[in-house]
Amino acid sequence: MELYELNLHDAISGLKDKKFSASELFASCKARIDALEPNVRAFITRTDSTPQPCENPEGLLAGIPTVLKDNLCTTGIRTTAASKILGGWRPPYDATAWKYLRESGAILMGKVNMDEFAMGNTCGNSAFGPTHNPNDISRVPGGSSGGSAAAVSAGYVPFSLGSDTGGSIRQPASFCGVYGLKPTYGMVSRYGLISYGSSLDQIGPFARTVRDLQLVMSVLAQYDPMDSSCFREKNPDFTHREDVSLKGKRVALVKEFQSFTLDAPIAEAMKKTRKVLEDEGAIITEVSLPVVAKYAVACYYALAMSEAHTNLERYDGVRLGYTVTDAAGVKEMFEEVRSYGFGSEVKSRIIAGTCLTEPSRCDEYYVAATKVRTLIAQEFARAFGETDFILQPVTPSLPHKIGEEDDDAMKGYETDLYTLPVNLAGLPGLSFFTGYALGQPSLTPPNLGGEQGGNPSAQRGLPVGLQLIGPRWSDPELLNAGVILERNLGTPKIANGGID
Amino acid sequence: MKLDAHEVNEIALESRLVLTEQELDNATRYINNFLDMLDSFKELDLTNVEPFSFAEALECPLREDTVIAFTNTQGILDESRHVDGAYVKVPRIIEE
Repeated sequence: MELYELNLHDAISGLKDKKFSASELFASCKARIDALEPNVRAFITRTDSTPQPCENPEGLLAGIPTVLKDNLCTTGIRTTAASKILGGWRPPYDATAWKYLRESGAILMGKVNMDEFAMGNTCGNSAFGPTHNPNDISRVPGGSSGGSAAAVSAGYVPFSLGSDTGGSIRQPASFCGVYGLKPTYGMVSRYGLISYGSSLDQIGPFARTVRDLQLVMSVLAQYDPMDSSCFREKNPDFTHREDVSLKGKRVALVKEFQSFTLDAPIAEAMKKTRKVLEDEGAIITEVSLPVVAKYAVACYYALAMSEAHTNLERYDGVRLGYTVTDAAGVKEMFEEVRSYGFGSEVKSRIIAGTCLTEPSRCDEYYVAATKVRTLIAQEFARAFGETDFILQPVTPSLPHKIGEEDDDAMKGYETDLYTLPVNLAGLPGLSFFTGYALGQPSLTPPNLGGEQGGNPSAQRGLPVGLQLIGPRWSDPELLNAGVILERNLGTPKIANGGID
Repeated sequence: MKLDAHEVNEIALESRLVLTEQELDNATRYINNFLDMLDSFKELDLTNVEPFSFAEALECPLREDTVIAFTNTQGILDESRHVDGAYVKVPRIIEE
């Protein structure tokens, strides 16, 4: 086994037991990146030309390589949010989440690709070009945190960070065959995260085992006075335990989602996971979320675009990023910088957000959306009075080919129905691996294989993920349930990134 | 159609965005489709519903108002092409 193949827990143990050195682990991951990156193209900026110093040799993550989504600020290292408008901006401060990792000894291999300002679900809406899914390089890795998911899936690093505003951790985790956690809103500091929709954004980890998510969360989940939405006195316990059980736990399916169409491998994964849960002693039940099912997509995009329009007002070319020096006046300068610097999807969302928040339309659209959000949060609160977890798909379909995006943006937004309600209600959501769909999903009947061994990567097919949701602050319980699911459904293998 | 291209262009200019003809065409279609989607809110009775806030935020714990020095001012200045000495020079906003 090559060192890059080690999961986070085993890499930590190996370093601690001096089976190998941090330099050897770094070199192995770097060689893996060198080999696969021409196919996968996960990076925007690499920082692994020479080994970065480890700040804390005694820390939990001492010597462990990682990558960050390029909307997390890193002192002196280019941070772009995949947009031309940030140019070669080097932030003068670190995002708190990265500071915590750095202080625990993690080593930064680089900053990875994403949809511009996290607006998208393919990782193709980037000023730096698309990232490719390491399981099938003709397909999208998902987004917006596609680079973070691809890097873990391809074995570049044992864990990474992304951000999730409407599914941007869970969907790429599912598409790339890794685990991803969108924590409860307020669990992880957002300080230093380039804002998209501030009331929806949340930073979270990707890894190849649930236990590894627990390890990363034990570092990330700390109160930070620099983020006023970060709650103190929660003290979550992410200690890994083998003796956890689902016996007597209630796991609900959403009544209104049952009539929606799913790709056959995803429908099969739902059945298989339900059986696993029953065999583990869980009680399968049903909850009704009618407002979520019918209004969440419209509510989410109304709020996300309104917040985005406000957050992106700050990019004017004066203090940082792309600029011009020969504009006739301030208005012309702002117009020139913003018109060139933002991509088309970002421009559309800014204009939509401006439209919704104008005084003449604000009550009809923006304020109405904030009230619909209240109904959605109340609906979830009632549901979690009747169940411990909710099981549902992450997406209705498996990853499509690069370039096959639907021309109708609204249809593309509707595929986010399973993920974005979680952000509206501030809940935690775990995207977990269930197995591989053999063959091309649209051409062959579903035939899922969740075992670790046996299938050569080339014949393995696309990974299939599902989602488990819990009430606010239930992140530790959610990951404990994930440990049990992984034990039964199998652990994903590292993807070959198009290399035989 | 709720908004024509002229109205969308006016909104774009408010956002300091100058659109090409193609971009304006796309944005007009996009916004009208989006507003159609939002019409679904009219099916709900929102009269007595409060705008959303996280329950915990109502408790809003205050923190000490402590001054923390930020020393990397050079790091900020290095990133702007409009620096004048120790300041970022904002373009003139009042026309002569």
